[in-house]
Parts: sequence; C-alpha cells; structure tokens
Amino acid sequence: MQIIENLKVKEKLYIEKFANGLTVMIIPKPGMKKKYMIWGTNYGSNDNKFIVPGEQEVTEVPNGVAHFLEHKLFEQEDGTNSLDTLTALGVNANAYTTNDHTAYLFECTDNFYEAMDELMDYVQHPYFTDENVEKEKGIIGQEIRMYDDYPDWRVYFNTLTAMYHENPIKIDITGTIETISKIDKDILYKCYNTFYHPSNMAIVISGDFKPEDILEEVKKRLVENKPSGEIKRIYPDEEESIVKPEIVQKLEVSNPIYTIGIKDVRKENQSKSETVKKALSMEILLNLIFGRSSKLYQALYKDGIIYGEPSLDYEFGKNYAHVLITGMSSNPREVYKAFKERVEELKNNGINKEDFERLKKMIYGSYVKEYNDVQDIARMFLSDYFKGICSFDYLEEIEGINVEYLNQVLKDVFKEDKMVLSIVENG
Amino acid sequence: MEHEIKEIKKGIKFHTLNTDKFKTNLFAIFLTTKLNRENVTKNALISMLLRRGSKTMKTQEEISKKMEELYGASFDCGLDKTGDNQVLKFYIEGINDKYIPEHNENILKTVIESLLDIVFNPYVENEGFKKEYLEQEKNNIKQRIEGKIDNKARYSLERAIEEMFKNEPYGLYKFGYEEDLESINEKDLYKYYNELINSCKIDIFLSGNLSDDVEKIIEENENIKKLQEREPNFEMPKIPEKKEVKENVVTKSMDVSQGKLVIGLNVNIDNDEEKYTTLMYNSILGGSANSKLFQNVREKAHLAYVASSSYYRFKSIIFINSGIEISNYDKALEVIKQQIEDMKKGNFSEEDIENSKKGIIAAINTIDDEQDTGITYYFGQELSGSNVSEEDYIKKIENITKENIVDIANKVQINTIYFLKD
Repeated sequence: MQIIENLKVKEKLYIEKFANGLTVMIIPKPGMKKKYMIWGTNYGSNDNKFIVPGEQEVTEVPNGVAHFLEHKLFEQEDGTNSLDTLTALGVNANAYTTNDHTAYLFECTDNFYEAMDELMDYVQHPYFTDENVEKEKGIIGQEIRMYDDYPDWRVYFNTLTAMYHENPIKIDITGTIETISKIDKDILYKCYNTFYHPSNMAIVISGDFKPEDILEEVKKRLVENKPSGEIKRIYPDEEESIVKPEIVQKLEVSNPIYTIGIKDVRKENQSKSETVKKALSMEILLNLIFGRSSKLYQALYKDGIIYGEPSLDYEFGKNYAHVLITGMSSNPREVYKAFKERVEELKNNGINKEDFERLKKMIYGSYVKEYNDVQDIARMFLSDYFKGICSFDYLEEIEGINVEYLNQVLKDVFKEDKMVLSIVENG
Repeated sequence: MEHEIKEIKKGIKFHTLNTDKFKTNLFAIFLTTKLNRENVTKNALISMLLRRGSKTMKTQEEISKKMEELYGASFDCGLDKTGDNQVLKFYIEGINDKYIPEHNENILKTVIESLLDIVFNPYVENEGFKKEYLEQEKNNIKQRIEGKIDNKARYSLERAIEEMFKNEPYGLYKFGYEEDLESINEKDLYKYYNELINSCKIDIFLSGNLSDDVEKIIEENENIKKLQEREPNFEMPKIPEKKEVKENVVTKSMDVSQGKLVIGLNVNIDNDEEKYTTLMYNSILGGSANSKLFQNVREKAHLAYVASSSYYRFKSIIFINSGIEISNYDKALEVIKQQIEDMKKGNFSEEDIENSKKGIIAAINTIDDEQDTGITYYFGQELSGSNVSEEDYIKKIENITKENIVDIANKVQINTIYFLKD
C-alpha cells in the first residue's frame, strides 16, 4: 500500500491497486463518527461509442444509458431494492452520474460493514428484466421533466450546445424521453459488462478506520473477475471553433439568467502537474476578473445590472475544458460586453501583483476547507482520480504559480472568438 | 464536542462548540425578531445592507479583500423564517491557523472582530444608511421577491405556505413585499436598525479549535460593549391551536413542463413530546427511500421522480412534495391520500418503525461532525427554549411505539393542496 502524506492539511492517503485492477483509496479521519464509502466507474454520459474488449466492431448506444444503469443497478434478483436495504440500515445511500463517471455511495455512523456488504453486492450483481427496465422509464421521464423546469440547468446545457459541435459533453446526462425509450436490458448488460470491470473502477473510503483492516474487508467482498482488455472509447473530433456566439431560450423567469462560456483547448498529453496548475490558475483568474472584490463585479453591482455574484467555474475532463460564468442580470448583453472589455484591459495592462497574491491565498484556503467532511473528501478524491489527478496536488502546485504564468493563461484562454453567451429569459 | 452557553448580557448569548475535528473555525451571529407585516421588508433590507460596509470597512470591496487576504475566509449572510420569527444570519468561516503556511497570523481574532464590526457597526452617513447602498439593495430585494417564481418546486411550496397561513405571520414572505420599498428611506431605516439591534434576541456562535481568550475577545469588543440589555423580542414556538379545516385546493397555471404538487398537512399535537413522534411519522410517510410515498408514488406507480415529505416542527406542519405528469394529478393525489389513510389505520410495520429510528438516530449522531449542523441544532434548541442533549434526543426516539405513531397519524389533517400546472 502506498502512503501519501500532505503536511499542509495534515492528512494521509493510502492507495492500493489490486491484481484485478481495482484501485482503493483510504483517507482516515480519526475522531469522526461519520463514515463514507463511494465506488465509482470511469463511465459517464460521454461514453456512448466504444469497442468492447475482444470485439472488432464499434458499439453505439442511445444517450442516457450510463444514468439509466445507475438507476437500475439497485434492483436485485430476489425482488428487493438495494436502496431500500441500505436505508433500512440507517445509512444514507445514493448514486449519481456525471459526464465521465458514475458513482454509488453511502454515508453512515453505524452498520458500516453491513452497508458495505450491500453496496459491494449490488454493484457487482446487475439484474435487469424487460419489466423493471420499462418501469424505470416513467420515473426517469419525470426526472428529465424536472430538469426541463430548472432555468439554471437549461442555461448550462444551452451554453455547451453553443460551444461544442460534436463533443458528447453537450449531451444531457439523463438523455431525453425519446432516447431513453430505446434502452432495453441487452443494452444495459452490454454497457455494464464493458465498463463495470474492476480495472475501470475505484473505491474511496473516508472515516475513522485503520487502512489495513478496511482493505482486507474490501478484498473479501470482491467477486472474481477475469482480466479485461482495454476499452476503446471513440470520441468524435471536435473543431476548436464554437458553434454559435449566442443562444437564447424562453422560460418563465423573473429576470434573465446568463452564462458566459469560453471554450478552451485541452492539450494532448498534458502532464498531471500542468493540468493542476492550469485549473488553479483559472480559478485565480476568474476571481480576479469577476470575483467579489473585482472591479467588474463592483461596477456592475452598483449599476444594478447584476444582483449577486456570478458562479465562476472551470470544468475539464479528458477531452474538453471550458469556463462557465453564470448569474442573473437585468441585461446579460451588457454584462457580456463589460466582461470582454475587462479581459482586454487585463491583457493589455497585465495582472496586478497584489491582487494575484491575495487571491492565491484565497484559493489555497478553499482547498483546505475541502478536508472538513468525509463526503467532500471522498467525492473529491474519486472525481480527481478519474481525471488522473491526486487531490493533494492542488495544495502543492499552487505555490509554483506566478504572475507571468497567469498572464500567459489569460492570453491563451480568454479569446473572444471562443466565447459564447447563453440566455434564459421571459417570453 | 462541548457546547457551552454564556449570557453576556440579558438577551445576548455566546455559544461555544469546542472541537478539533475541523480545519476551520465557524463564527456566526444570529439576530432573531418577531415576524410581522410591518417590519418584514425592513428586516430583509437590513440583512442585505449590512453586507455593504461598516465604519472600518466602508465598501463591499474592502470587506471582500480582507476576507480573501485571510486565506479565503468566507463571509455569508442568510435570512430565515423560523416559526413566527425572522432570523438574520451572518457567518464567517476562517481557516484554522494550523493549516496555513505561516503561523504568525491570528485569523480567528480577525474573523471575530470583522463580523462584529459588519453586524453592529454599519457604515452610516448623516445619521442614516448610505443612500446609494439602500437604493441598490432595494433593487436587489425587488429582484428576490420577483425571483420567487424561478424555481417552480420552491415557488409551489411558498405558495402552499401562504395559503395555509393567510393573515398569519408565518404566511409572510421572508424577503418582504415590493410595495413597502418606496416609502423606506435611509434615515428611518437606520433608526429602525438601532431599535432592532437593541431589542432582538442575539445569539453568537463559535465552533472550532478555540483558544481560551475567545470569550475575552468577544466581551471586550467595543461593538458588544455598546449593546443594551434587553428582554428579547422573539416568539417561542407554541402548541398550535386546533381548528377545523376544510381541504383548500388551489391550482395555478404557469409555463411548466412538469406539474408540481404540494400538500400541506396540519399535525394537531397536544404537547411538545409529540414532536418527536411526529418526526417519526414523517419519516415513515415520506422522509426516506423506504417511506410510503417514495415506495408507492415512485417505485410502484412510477408517477414521479420526487415523492417526499418534510416536517416543520416549529409550526407543526408537514409538506408533501411531488413532481408529476400534469395529466396524472388525480391518480397521484389518490395514491398520496391513500398513504395518509394507511398511516391512520396503522398500515405500516414494526420494521418501518425500526428503520426510521435508525435513520433519525444516524442523523443525530452526525451533528458533531458538521460545523454548521452543530450550530443549527443548538440554535434550534435555544429558540424553542429546550435543552435536550443528543443522547436524550436519541432516547426519546428509541422509546416511540407504533401506538404513539398511529395516535399522531390521527391528528393529521390535510389543510391545503397546491398544484402548479401548464
């Protein structure tokens, strides 16, 4: 077992890779009553086209299969549902799907090993029938409709549609009512057998545990698996250009909601350290441009054009990266114009050293805060792991960032021809 | 975790939660005042205005820069409706000095002093709030009030509450009313602020790895010294009066793709102890994935993705929430009503009871593991005038029987059915 210690937050990560390829990460939290376990597979809504190990031809599945699988995995052959079983143990169980991974989890204070029995049993034993697949379509249909009524979700997905031509990141994670109608049990089994192999999965556990003990407990519950070959995932080529500069949707909202998107290029073979530094720099930059203390935010707030701070995000995965700035405004086009002007001004004048040092401290602090809660810790380590990153790296790499580097990133990413504006407004 | 309370002055309490579990220290100030139509908008405005600047940090920009300098201390405000009270909440979460690169700063002391300054020493010009700030925050509040419709599920819940508590304080919208804004000016509002600050209930919370001098820092702070003793003007939760209600059905059309169904229930309890039983009742009805609503509305009838209920103990009410196909309204309502009836008849198992107990006890056990949950728990106790330790809470839950729950089920009445459709 490898041990990585971080002296800044004073935490340790124990990491082990089993012979079948499964990675297990343990972050002990002595003194905490809460315990958290999450089991993820590197398979999300982006993985719709692939070659099954050992096969020649390409498999293409309808949008929304990864999420559908997440719902159905709880179903057991004896007619029970694992979500019920886990809830009955007094644990808080759940699952979620993102564009690059699907995860099954529970949080508890008591009955940890009983819950582990159930979690590890249901994730390893799928049971799909025509009937239970059909039934789920009604439930997921209502989940899709629920998202249709969320203006925030619409403005987000519309931004992706305006930025990406082919990249599957622009597909709704749930699929649509039309695409899920095509899902059947054979498709689910095929995707399960391809992507739920231990070599494509990772477990993270955090709580008051001895790492050696917990590792043994995990091992005991693993079913045997034949080694599997590499899954070939096929992602369409994506042009660097955007699709369209503006996208507008009408919904019943009090004030317009906007997202400014900036499409970034993910460099091939970017080193782990480079990836982390880039992400940290983007966080510093976004706060510098539009954070609570920024000139732009102060000016727009005073003029009553924006009401609260916009959310500032830099999202990235294996084959995409983009900026998302989302907020509510009486005049989104005005916000967009002022934003672009501020970016140009910063490019010309360079970044102020004092602002830079202050925001660097702030971003450092925001990473320290992630280590308060077993859930935040476990989820962060899992999602970073599937991006090829160890979460501790953020705390270490931030020191190496300087103003020159930041100025360079500003010039590389904040290009006007890569920006889009998405608006949801009344009408 | 040790929870200690010290009354600094009459009506002003300092609560400490000393623990070394966290990387952060959380400092919070809660101002609690009676909810009423006259002051609701003013209180909301004050909660927004105080963020804008103090006498020592005159602008929002200065406050933000200071927070960023403290390794991203996060300054946050909230406005809550708790029972018949309006609660103005202010927080700063700062990193514990142990986890920053240089150990020569005293972040906690700066955090405490900054928040006391923001809340009790606002920026004032000509014996009033700054006019410019007030105008901007009026605009902001207006947007919050109008923004009620943006989240359709939340909107339906707010509307159901308004219907259930017509002409009562709890039916008021916590951000107030647009028509009040025009007549509020910076001088009168500042005068009102001084009344509020010297009459409201003040609770100061500090959770984290605390040094011995924190009490001194607070007590010797100039802003604390100038506060008067007071008979705090707030409302303790009461056992609600029993009244015969007729099912009130309200429907409204909006541009939605999914119907949002909210059902408000009265729970006519006779004493405080029954609140624990009501918590159990709610858990079995719609509080978890094993609940009757989740199992029957979602898993068996496939009518919804969301089918749940939540208990508002300060008002002894329960809200059932569900998002359904608009054409399935009758079917969904029938299934939901059936669950309420089944509860009355005792159609639930000992296993349901055991499972619910486990879930509730697990939630109580995590109170100490989350800084904000700890504060919320003890503040809830403070407001209801009770002092139930986590151990006693667990015991009360463990002792609840099926008979108790059926008894509560028969005290449940449907008050309002609210349906948002296209």
